Amino acid sequence: MSLDRRNFFKTISVAGLTLAVGKSSKAAPPKGSEIEFQGILYDSTRCLGCRACEQACAESHNLPVPQDELVPGVIRKTSETQRTVVNKFITSKGEVLVKKQCMHCNEPACAAACLTQAMYKTKEGPVIWREDKCMGCRYCMVSCPFDVPKFEYHSANPKIQKCDLCYDRIIKGEVPACVEICGEALTFGTRRELIAEARKRIAEKPNDYIDQIFGENVAGGTGYLYLSPVPYNELGFNTNLQNTSYPALSKGFLYSVPSVFVLLPPLLLGIHEATKNNQPNEEENE
Amino acid sequence: MNNPANPVAKDNDGKSIWRFFLTELKPKGKWLTPFNIISIPVILLGLVLIVIRFWKGIGSITNLSQEIPWGLWIGFDVVTGVAFAGGAYVLTFMVYILRMNKYHSIVRITVLNGFLAYVFYAGALLLDLGRPWNVINPIIGNSFGTSSVLFLVAWHFLLYMLAELIEFSPAVAEWLGAKRARKILSGMTIAAVIFGITLSTLHQSGLGALFLMAKDKIHPLWYSEFIPILFLVSSIFAGLSMVIFEGSISHKVFFNQISEKNHKAQDGIIHGLSKICAGAMFAYFFLVLLVFIHGKRWDLLSTPMGYWFLLEMIGFVLIPMLLFFYSYRRHNIFMIRLAAILTMLGVILNRLNVTVIGFRWDATVHYVPSWMEIVVTLTVIFTEIWIFRWVINRMPVLRESPSWVKEEK
Amino acid sequence: MDGFTYNNIFDTKGLEYLVIIAFFAVLILFWIALNKQVKIRKRIQKTLDSITANALKIPQGLFFSENHTWSHLGRSGVAKVGLDDLLMHITGEVKFKTLKNQGEKINKGDLMAEIDQKGKILRIFSPISGEIVDTNPVLTNNPELLNEDPYQKGWMYEIKPTNWIGDTNSYYLAGEATNWIEKELEMFKDFLSISIGKLTPSSPNLILQDGGQLTDHILSELPDEVWQQFQEDFLSNTDSGAKHRNLM
Repeated sequence: MSLDRRNFFKTISVAGLTLAVGKSSKAAPPKGSEIEFQGILYDSTRCLGCRACEQACAESHNLPVPQDELVPGVIRKTSETQRTVVNKFITSKGEVLVKKQCMHCNEPACAAACLTQAMYKTKEGPVIWREDKCMGCRYCMVSCPFDVPKFEYHSANPKIQKCDLCYDRIIKGEVPACVEICGEALTFGTRRELIAEARKRIAEKPNDYIDQIFGENVAGGTGYLYLSPVPYNELGFNTNLQNTSYPALSKGFLYSVPSVFVLLPPLLLGIHEATKNNQPNEEENE
Repeated sequence: MNNPANPVAKDNDGKSIWRFFLTELKPKGKWLTPFNIISIPVILLGLVLIVIRFWKGIGSITNLSQEIPWGLWIGFDVVTGVAFAGGAYVLTFMVYILRMNKYHSIVRITVLNGFLAYVFYAGALLLDLGRPWNVINPIIGNSFGTSSVLFLVAWHFLLYMLAELIEFSPAVAEWLGAKRARKILSGMTIAAVIFGITLSTLHQSGLGALFLMAKDKIHPLWYSEFIPILFLVSSIFAGLSMVIFEGSISHKVFFNQISEKNHKAQDGIIHGLSKICAGAMFAYFFLVLLVFIHGKRWDLLSTPMGYWFLLEMIGFVLIPMLLFFYSYRRHNIFMIRLAAILTMLGVILNRLNVTVIGFRWDATVHYVPSWMEIVVTLTVIFTEIWIFRWVINRMPVLRESPSWVKEEK
Repeated sequence: MDGFTYNNIFDTKGLEYLVIIAFFAVLILFWIALNKQVKIRKRIQKTLDSITANALKIPQGLFFSENHTWSHLGRSGVAKVGLDDLLMHITGEVKFKTLKNQGEKINKGDLMAEIDQKGKILRIFSPISGEIVDTNPVLTNNPELLNEDPYQKGWMYEIKPTNWIGDTNSYYLAGEATNWIEKELEMFKDFLSISIGKLTPSSPNLILQDGGQLTDHILSELPDEVWQQFQEDFLSNTDSGAKHRNLM
């Protein structure tokens, strides 16, 4: 690939401007490719607890179908063999069902943490795990505020297991396996549509829901959205999580790295020069 | 341990480099020293465990869980080990940038220590990876996760090892008798030092920055946005304490290699380092206090974790700092060494608190390292000491450089 | 972040890291270039070869003139002239051009030869007046003789002098010559200090402390401006007295 002069100057000036103008300026979305995030809306009031979603998920991903019973108050978790789980919580309003899996955050901590880009936020919305790149460092697990990624600790070639919103089906135009088999509780669509739909449901039946869509703001917004009749902390959600993105927490550090890199060597060189006169007979090591 | 009856090693003088190297490969000294008797079985056992780990997965020898994915190997081997290796960047800063020539005689051994520490802890890291063969991915560009702090840290480790190698290489050249090579490498020293200090600043703090996203998972008394700065400052006195500790041991073990002049200078060096440690810990203590105030964490002090925090800060930061202060003023070398050990324990405690103990402290099943993890950790450390000893017994690290070096100056 | 489309707050990080790597490479070059002249200064400082007045050959019986030429009257009444050892040690390997031919008349102070090193030229003026009897054929074919043996085989001209005593009256002989060469060396060191000071950005209060020795062929390292100044200060027309004593 040859770089002619005009392109060279363009690249250099863009690079220079990018550094000069400030790293806080947002990247403008490319014209004409306004792909919006897609996600899933889970409505707890419409969930039957049939767990067909667990079964469909396992079958479409070559995982063992969960055999255990759904016992109210016994909380199961996702694992390296199970990507989604439905639990029945005993709450202030009786028994409430909730399905848990990866939240597919808008700015995922796991994708920012992954140094090989194995955890990857696709433009369509789902956060996927790319097997060929992963080195098994488990930094994604450290960073995820929802403790979602699960690691195959007993495999010589371990995988990370988590819900990927059936990405391979989505790009073919299909819907995720759990949505397809589910009757009522799961809805698939763009995040914009889902939030609008959720608001509509809350407005129409304000007594059935608490006035909060979990996932609208948490961690800066997630692809999985929840409607619930009871406060979310009663359903095992951590409601103390921040409403801003998690990668932004390491922004302060990462943004200052170039400054340190550029300022420290000349500073050290300067001190090295300045102290030189203390020893005129020093052998110069330049 | 080196038998004092053994003569001090000589550098290559005219022989072909390859033949010299081959003769140097022969073991020196006794086989049945106390250290060897302890370390050889441990190393052998560790190797067996490592084979099992690769055959049956990480879970077969560790107690890591889905909620606590990083344990002893990361929290101790990598995070704490690197903090202790920080002596190299602090010392090269003092000697080459600030030109505090009093400490020149210990630069080489400290740089050697730092280099080996990074090599072995990066090696230990490979054991902790689920798929170590994919570690080349972020290196060769198959996938650069530039948004990741770990990407930065990993690259820094690589580049820093290179810088330390360059800093140490004149000693290798002297050993092999390669005069021209030594000259070229010496010329690159200052560049390697500056590069090394810059890299160290960023990755010592970077190790702390790794945990910034785990805001809700680390106990509030140890989590703050200032973790990177705290790690950086504590790496200064951690490194220097390790220099004092390891220097005191090496001084006794390799006694016959050290020149008369350096013997006499040893106490003065330790004394000077204790002053720096006292100062750094003083600053660190107040930093922690500021962070504590900033986070409004008073209520947490009366919890069990709060008492643990107070133990770390008062018992292992404030008290050693006062001990350094006192023993500096009284010129009490023994107390300085004691303070160094306390400081090192404090750093281990702090690093483990942030990365393991304070991490998901509320988890139902708490993480305790398995004996197998501990054995593997010891294997790594012992192997490193073996290599360290091998190098010191041959190359001009503690003993004087060959005479042709002085002629050139 | 609008919450509905892809946004990456770290998207420029890769490019930034590349620029940082480039920065390091450029910084090294920048720093070296900034301090470049200093290297010449240091070479001068190091003592590899030392030129002391004692190391120079100062044969007796030769008359030395201010502009570093020597004259010797042979038994046959024909004088030989040439360039002195100090000049050759200072300049190093040079080519030379004789400008007068056999049979031509020459006066003291006339331009008789040029020495040349890669375009830098020094002009040599004749120490005596007379008629050119011969140029040195051996020297023409072996210019290195100028450095190796400037007083015997490296003679430049044979001249039949017309005013030997008058011309050589003010020249240095034997013991005086030795004194004079020593003084010239000191003068030259000062000259160097000042020249280097003009060349390098940093302070010229440097280099040649008392007792500091010179490296051989020092002028070969220095640029043309210095050669011209040297010409003026050290090799000018024999009559213009103590020109280079006005060096301060």
